[in-house]
Amino acid sequence: MGMVRHRAYTLLLQGDDILPFINGLSTNQVDGACTTVFTNRAAKIVDVCEVILVGSHVALVGYEPSKSTVIAHLTERILGQSISLTDISELNDVFIGTDDATYPEGTTVHQSHFGTMYIIPVKHNWEATWTEEDWTEHRIANLIPYHGHEITSKVHPLACGLGDLVHPQKGCYIGQEVLTRMRSRGKQGHRLVKRSNPVEKATTVGATESMVLERIQ
Amino acid sequence: MDCGTCETAPAIQVHAPDVVDVELTLTEKATDMLEDAFGDDRSHALLVGVLSGGCSGYMYDLQIVESTETPCQELNIKGFRVLVPTASSHLLNGIEIDYVDRLMGGGFKINNPNASASCGCGESFS
Repeated sequence: MGMVRHRAYTLLLQGDDILPFINGLSTNQVDGACTTVFTNRAAKIVDVCEVILVGSHVALVGYEPSKSTVIAHLTERILGQSISLTDISELNDVFIGTDDATYPEGTTVHQSHFGTMYIIPVKHNWEATWTEEDWTEHRIANLIPYHGHEITSKVHPLACGLGDLVHPQKGCYIGQEVLTRMRSRGKQGHRLVKRSNPVEKATTVGATESMVLERIQ
Repeated sequence: MDCGTCETAPAIQVHAPDVVDVELTLTEKATDMLEDAFGDDRSHALLVGVLSGGCSGYMYDLQIVESTETPCQELNIKGFRVLVPTASSHLLNGIEIDYVDRLMGGGFKINNPNASASCGCGESFS
């Protein structure tokens, strides 16, 4: 049991029809709390985000280096809609871990594709209980892709273990045609696997096993 | 989670594109179809809007409305009232509205000189 600090940003979206707005721009069926992927027209990943309901508002938690790209991606598509974004990253620390980790009062707990996510107000000065090595071994054991390793702007979600976040039947979103074509033709190019060390071109290297985006023959 | 709504965290400024005076054309086929749809009653208007979403990021939205609360430019094209939301005027300036008479994929089509790409169904553009 434990948690590691997630290098995250948190945006608060307020206004009308927030969930349909996110749903129309990302791969998963967004009708409540979930993990979803923003992709570009080539279906390459813009960011993987957590959608979390906060009262009548929605929080979007993503990977900090992608923040400005995501903000631009969203704001240029707010066309007269009553939607505002507020950056509340500095008010919260975000951790990912197992579902039995301890956390302080005021924490929002969310079931993410990466594990259990804890959004904890910074006033608690909460500390991670896992090291990066603990997190790496946990990810390899459970085949969990992560930002900067398997998840980059150069890959599409199907190739890096995020296929569960690509809803097979929802309507159009940016990149949908490409992903649907890959699935229907069985040509997604790569897949996420773990192999015993040594592993060539590993994306995450563990003590005995590593993860790699392996080309599908 | 501290959502900041109890404090005065400033909202991120949403970039508002410049509002442009929209010019729009209707093809003969589109005009015929609108005459069929409207009949002699010209109290209603054709709302030509853009929504976020679709395979390419934006989707066209055509509606026949009596009025709308959305701030719009009102045009008179061939005797029809055409409403274009000011928030999407930069995306719709110069468009041509056509009508394609086909069993599959037929209907109103928009030819948009501002679109760098469109999806296969023609309803979405970027």
